Amino acid sequence: MAILSKKSRSALYDPLVKTNPISLSVLGICSALAVTIRVDQALIMTGAVIFVLSTSNTIISVIRKYIPSRTRIIIQLAIIAGLVSLIDQVLMAYMYNMSKQLSVFVSLIVTNCIVMGRADAYAMQNPAGNSFLDGLGNGFGYGAILIAVAFFRELFGSGTIYGISIIPEFVYNLGYENLGLMVLSPGAFIVLGLIVWFQKEIWKEKVK
Amino acid sequence: MRSNTYTLIFTSLITLILGFLLSFTYTQLKSMQEENLAVDIRKNILRALDIREEKNEEWSNEKVQDLFNKYIKAEVVSKNGLILNNINIENIDAEYDSINFPIYYKLNDNQIDGYAIPVIGRGLWSTLYGYLALEPDASTVKGIQFYSHKETPGLGAEIEKDWFTNNFIGKKIVNPNGELVSIEVLRGKVDELSNEAYHQVDGISGATMTTKGVTQFLLEDLQKYEPFFKKIRTEVKEITWLY
Repeated sequence: MAILSKKSRSALYDPLVKTNPISLSVLGICSALAVTIRVDQALIMTGAVIFVLSTSNTIISVIRKYIPSRTRIIIQLAIIAGLVSLIDQVLMAYMYNMSKQLSVFVSLIVTNCIVMGRADAYAMQNPAGNSFLDGLGNGFGYGAILIAVAFFRELFGSGTIYGISIIPEFVYNLGYENLGLMVLSPGAFIVLGLIVWFQKEIWKEKVK
Repeated sequence: MRSNTYTLIFTSLITLILGFLLSFTYTQLKSMQEENLAVDIRKNILRALDIREEKNEEWSNEKVQDLFNKYIKAEVVSKNGLILNNINIENIDAEYDSINFPIYYKLNDNQIDGYAIPVIGRGLWSTLYGYLALEPDASTVKGIQFYSHKETPGLGAEIEKDWFTNNFIGKKIVNPNGELVSIEVLRGKVDELSNEAYHQVDGISGATMTTKGVTQFLLEDLQKYEPFFKKIRTEVKEITWLY
């Protein structure tokens, strides 16, 4: 990866673990609770967020020098919401099944704090190339946590992974039951809390 | 700090550009979106009547249209259970019309192989739209499909999944005395030994409000068609009781 300068590299790789938007900045929690019941939905959401985050970061970065500081949040939000609605319209016309699957996820992206957070904190100060990489990095960092949470919730809540049954029938016959709590939002809070704790305390000590 | 005039002009300009872009896209794509929606509804009628895609197969819009024209016949029934020939089904809004109701027949070599009716009602967050199909005996559920809703993914949204809809197949909407009881979605699993199991299906954990809504509007919608189905039931004597 010699093509990328040091700054670009850190824009791309840092958000994966070091400055992860969910587990360290605690942004985007709302959607991390809502769409992590099953792995397949977490994957769709991840794809959509990566796309919106990198595109909105790039556009905002290109016009950052002209955006008046007093209305910058409104302008950022307008661009993000416009972009999301645009994608929604195009999907509905050309990929109807995909748009049905995305359904509420699309509107959840607009309210995702990570998208606005990165637009204001990074894209407003940095050139377009790096902003694009920062968007990609944060998207993947967000996705990694989302999929990890979904993995545990689906495994313990429904006994499946990606819709495929993992826990064999005889275990159920022995009296094992799926953990209903995992399907509900409090389950996501617990799993997410454990991941944050793991990263901030245990993993950090190991790296040191 | 930029001047007020600059801020005002820039912000209005961005809003205008975005507004223009969105409305332009919308007008350009509107006809395609509407066609997709219409085809999706027809696909759902077909699926409810057990004409469905193989695994990993995806029907084109034309294919759905062909199948629909080949197998489905649409009629309008009145609230007294009479078939009305003078009303165009296109003009009926199934959600709000309380006098005339659309019904779809599945025809196999001119033999009626099932009826599908629209079922519409409130879930937790949104209105659910779907089709319920009955066997020719007008008592046994042939299938149910939901095509539009805004319920929580993974919870209420599971109503459109096969594991949930397959539970309906073979259930009865009438009790052994011939009275309409509709289908009840339970909290938790059906007790197969219960006397009521013939019209009960497994619920979705974490989606009690959505499934309560389903139970309620299935009954309401079936009541609208009851005069019509009752007549069919008196003609068809041999209802098989498996329970």
